[in-house]
Amino acid sequence: MSNVATPAFGAPDFDAVVVGAGPAGSAAALELARAGRRVCLVERGPYPGAKNMYGGVVYGRILDTLLPNWWEEAPVQRWVTRRQTMILTETAATTLDVRNEAWGRPPYNGATAYRPDFDAWLAQKAVDAGAVLVCSTTVTGLLREDGRPDGKVVGVRTDRPDGDLTAKVVVACDGVNSFLAKEAGLYPTVDPANYTVGVKETIALPRDVIDERFGVRGDHGVDIEILGCTGDVPGGGFVYTNLDTVAVGLVLSLPELSRGDQRPEQLLARLKAHPAVAPLVEGGDVKEYSAHVIPEAGFDMMPELVGDGILVAGDAAAMCLAAGIWLEGVNFAIGAGAAAGRTAARAVQRDDTSAAGLAGYRARLESSFVLADHRRLRDAPHLVMGELAQQKMPRVVNGVVEELFTVTNPDPKPRLRTILRRQMKRHGVKWRDAVKDGLRAARTFG
Amino acid sequence: MAEPTHYPELSFESRMGSVEFRVAEQAHIVVDDRICADCSTRGCVVACPANLFVPTAAGGILFNYEQCFECGTCYLVCNEEGAISWSYPEGGHGVVFHRS
Amino acid sequence: MLVAACVKWADLRPEVDPVHGTVRSTGRSDGFSEADRAAVEVALGLAEGWGARVAVVCAGPPAAEAGLRELQAVGVDRAVRVDLAPDQPSEAVAASLAPVLSALLAADVVVCGDYSADRGSGSVPAYLAHLLGAEQALGLVGVAAHGDDGVAGVRRLDGGRREDVVAGAPAVVSVEGSVATLRRASLAATLGAGAAAVEVVPGRPDPRAEAPRTEPWRPRARHVAPPEGDDALDRVVQLTGAFVERTPPRTVELEPAEAAQAVLDQLRAWGYLEPPGRPD
Repeated sequence: MSNVATPAFGAPDFDAVVVGAGPAGSAAALELARAGRRVCLVERGPYPGAKNMYGGVVYGRILDTLLPNWWEEAPVQRWVTRRQTMILTETAATTLDVRNEAWGRPPYNGATAYRPDFDAWLAQKAVDAGAVLVCSTTVTGLLREDGRPDGKVVGVRTDRPDGDLTAKVVVACDGVNSFLAKEAGLYPTVDPANYTVGVKETIALPRDVIDERFGVRGDHGVDIEILGCTGDVPGGGFVYTNLDTVAVGLVLSLPELSRGDQRPEQLLARLKAHPAVAPLVEGGDVKEYSAHVIPEAGFDMMPELVGDGILVAGDAAAMCLAAGIWLEGVNFAIGAGAAAGRTAARAVQRDDTSAAGLAGYRARLESSFVLADHRRLRDAPHLVMGELAQQKMPRVVNGVVEELFTVTNPDPKPRLRTILRRQMKRHGVKWRDAVKDGLRAARTFG
Repeated sequence: MAEPTHYPELSFESRMGSVEFRVAEQAHIVVDDRICADCSTRGCVVACPANLFVPTAAGGILFNYEQCFECGTCYLVCNEEGAISWSYPEGGHGVVFHRS
Repeated sequence: MLVAACVKWADLRPEVDPVHGTVRSTGRSDGFSEADRAAVEVALGLAEGWGARVAVVCAGPPAAEAGLRELQAVGVDRAVRVDLAPDQPSEAVAASLAPVLSALLAADVVVCGDYSADRGSGSVPAYLAHLLGAEQALGLVGVAAHGDDGVAGVRRLDGGRREDVVAGAPAVVSVEGSVATLRRASLAATLGAGAAAVEVVPGRPDPRAEAPRTEPWRPRARHVAPPEGDDALDRVVQLTGAFVERTPPRTVELEPAEAAQAVLDQLRAWGYLEPPGRPD
């Protein structure tokens, strides 16, 4: 231990320990280090990002305040200038296709990136600011004051020899399974219905083939969100472009997946074979298959964010927005991590890292997009994962479009409202339900 | 334009072969399959993305931990309290993503 | 007394195109192989028994220094990086490592992995033993200290048999990856490892070294005259050579040098090698 002061008896090794060098953890460590606190960032993978996987797009606006001109150096694959929302049935597809060249210029909007690259880059920023990064180290539990099970959190235990690490405050950014938040008693219950599992293939294709298939040039890319492609399991799909790979994946609700008879990769193979998706992804060599659990239910599943000596941020606090047309997580993680870092730094300075001393964290989040978005969109996951949106809406939409554009000469064209009524009846959609969900959606998204 | 080469659809083995796993000596999943014998749903068998859980003829569950994505699906879908004990593998081991 | 471990920074998971068979290094998965890590553990174990110091010598690029620092956290006293490109032949690698081991470190026992992960031939330890004038015991599946400065090892033989070998200092041994599992560094040592110093020594690259072949060796295509004959059966018989007398296999008993020459001559006769004097 050459560059770390050996603590006097009772003095902690660090001001703060941040568990998990994902976007939340690195942002927290960055803010702590910038505030001059001694911070240790503990990562269980051999490098930051080794355990992380996502649905493809980083929205970097939150980085503007942390790392000005971040886009000049962030390890980005492509800038998303075209996004599509695709609604599928077995044989049909209706797509909303949006393109905006402004998203391909500074300050940019969304970017695709490999998480091992992006997370390692962000962690390096924290290290450059003075944080101590320790990889290949799994945190196995919390240290409590005086060893009492309900005592204040005063550090973490790792799986290395002599692996106890004491600190004035612990920031748990240990991902969706957050054993630390659970051990701290911050999660009252864990309901599998709040979780989905994401599976993804990264498929190598020549760069010019990707440009051609997706209709983009240079470092511009595409992100496609797909509904109605998961069979009987509620969920959704996605396709997005990296520089010389394409990623295709599914998000599947856990309870229905486990009750069904189709395995995740079988459902994924079905999506890849769909006539609207196959031409985009076929023919390449699968470079990597990956899977990760997603905290789907957003605001309604969030744990207590503050405990005695501990803060929770990122997926560990369920800060993942899976609201149909939006699929975001990294930005919330960075926002929450930075807020946690600032709160922790203040609390250390005032020498009060009790739950009361850390309470400002929640207020910071409430006043930022992190909790504002989640609170406003708390109904969205339920709407998007409901039967109407999952099973009936794709059939009605594609049925209406089919009738609308099928020329029925010599019969005259039917009226749109006739088509709509007929399709809703055929697929068992009651006006009452449609209006009810419609109003709920209007309240949520409107 | 370079002609894309066509690759055959993946077998499950080559699908998993595309992923790096630095296998730890110690298993991080433990299944008490005396409890599984009473389980009728067996959600882990179909839901595990890595297909690590296999029902045995004797009515138990055979499990592997080597090719685990560490996603947590298995313990979340397990409805028999305590059948699956799950933690993270030793630091530096387990799944290592490169292009995720 | 000093025990040295030699390790190589190599791509442990290069990408192989399943259709074309081309191998590409992405730089995402560089590290020390299991055999190299086992070698470090063996070196640490031997040194503990003898009260010796441990050094690690690594042939590789600057990126290897992060890996060397991790080894220092495990208990290695001294780390030296020999600056050498990864595609150097074994002779050049050994010629670069040997002066470090003898002059700089004065190593008594050198432990290597059995072969490097980037399609190595496993010949570096043998070259090293030659250059250092040391006894060698290579490809060991078991290893233990023998007396105050010797190494007792177990080596594989054909048919599942084993051979016990003993090499006395100065000695070079190479071990398989299964021999030992590298111990974990303590948390305190890991926290301190970031500041550990790695010495850098220039390597001695072989100017004649060519870029390694990336394709399997195949004999050159030979011209075969089209078969003659009016009916298909005749042509097939001609093509397959079914009724033609074959050269019978022959057994020769020769001294090694003559035997090698005979094998080369035969390969040339069959067209697998170019005749002498013609450019490749």
